[in-house]
Amino acid sequence: MQKIPVKDGIFVEGPDGVALAANRCKSCGRFYFPKSKFCLDCMGNNLEDITLSKQGKLYSFTVAQMPSTHFKPPYAAGFVAMPEGLKIFAPLDIIADKPFRVGMEMEVYTDTLWTEGEREYVGYRFKAL
Amino acid sequence: MREVCIIGVGQSTFGKLSERTAADLGCEAVSEAITNAGIKPRDIQVAYGCRMYDAMTTAQSILKSVGVTAIEMINVENACASGATALRCLWKDIAFGLYDLGIAVGVESMTTSPVAGKLIPPQKDDLDGHMGLTMPTYFAQIARRLMETHGATVEDFATVSVKNHHHGCLNPRAQYQKEFTVEEILKSRMISDPITLLQCCPNTDGAAAVVMCSRSCAKKYTTKPVKVAASILLSADYFFKKADLTSFTMGKNATRMAYEMAGIGPEDLDLIELHDAFACEELVHYEDMRICKPGESIPLLRSGATALGGKIPVNPSGGLLSLGHPLAASGTRVVGEVALHLRGQAGKRQVPNARVGMAHMLGGMESGLEAGAVGIHILTV
Repeated sequence: MQKIPVKDGIFVEGPDGVALAANRCKSCGRFYFPKSKFCLDCMGNNLEDITLSKQGKLYSFTVAQMPSTHFKPPYAAGFVAMPEGLKIFAPLDIIADKPFRVGMEMEVYTDTLWTEGEREYVGYRFKAL
Repeated sequence: MREVCIIGVGQSTFGKLSERTAADLGCEAVSEAITNAGIKPRDIQVAYGCRMYDAMTTAQSILKSVGVTAIEMINVENACASGATALRCLWKDIAFGLYDLGIAVGVESMTTSPVAGKLIPPQKDDLDGHMGLTMPTYFAQIARRLMETHGATVEDFATVSVKNHHHGCLNPRAQYQKEFTVEEILKSRMISDPITLLQCCPNTDGAAAVVMCSRSCAKKYTTKPVKVAASILLSADYFFKKADLTSFTMGKNATRMAYEMAGIGPEDLDLIELHDAFACEELVHYEDMRICKPGESIPLLRSGATALGGKIPVNPSGGLLSLGHPLAASGTRVVGEVALHLRGQAGKRQVPNARVGMAHMLGGMESGLEAGAVGIHILTV
């Protein structure tokens, strides 16, 4: 199987393994994930690459009972508020004894999200700590 | 800039009508609007058509059936705000003197479209869409935030649906003319927690058309023209600029601009027609439109103020929840609905003595943006 990221350039090898690759505008401080070519806020061109924190707080969530393009029901998904000030939408792990609640601590990890023929699409998911 | 009026509105049957073509549905709405306006088909100088799925020369395919050809026809797309976009374009043409009289028609044949029976699929580069973000999962998260920040309950969301389905029972054009209880809404199939099936608008086939003309031109046809006091169209801003999921920044801004243009405030409104694709969504718009104070959408709903008979009825037509949602048609349909109320021709669902009304339509979902576009029209008599 060939492993392919769900979007090019979203992962980086960091000190603690694979992390989400983001960047930050050196003029106004805005963070971007996925990385932005320029600052969409202040239009500045001076951006530095950073790795995103692995942990954030659950901002909102849902458990879907109908399929999406790649996921069969039931699947959970939500926005996670990261310390860098951005919210990331991602699939969430359903853990029986850890029901979702807004504000709970979540941690990101990489995983194969779906396969198409001989291709494994690798993305990110969050699970409750 | 000239004053622009609405002199005719038309709507086709709404429902699952897979045996009928989009052109046929469009023709039904356009014919009704022409008759309603008291114009001859060839009085139409310019036409805007809109349709999200399988759109090609939509206006031409419809208008040739009523004898209108060889004039300027433009076809536009702005997701569910397509119909509002077509009207905004028509308004500009007349306000700035390019034409005196024209028509905008929105149509959708969902049952014969490539998305029939499916969710709208994400674009190839739509990362969030591929990660599982769909319309129901997005609005479910809005509902969750309302529960977190506003003290909303699932019963509140169901109450919106009960209200709009009650209104729909008074509208012979609604796809579903059936009363539901809070319990029935909540017991219907779960779609995306906390949204159940009966809190979602159905996919629908249908069309709606509106005839606009200049104030001086309107005198030829009617003694009761409806004035377009504001016409606003805004595209969405970046998602990262959004303070919370419980507000649409573009909706808030577009409404403010519309109030300024019309020279009125939210307290002057007699009715509102808005995009209630999901029941929880209606509550978000209450605050963005400032018909209540920030954070007070739930008490406003519970007070009954937004039901027919209340202070500011919202979706007296039955809304998308009971009328159904033929995507591009909904934006023209809501403007036509408000015009009917201001003319006192809305039948059993009539808001008594309505003089000022607002029509809102939200459209689209685009990775990185808070949505696609929003159109606001304020009408007065």
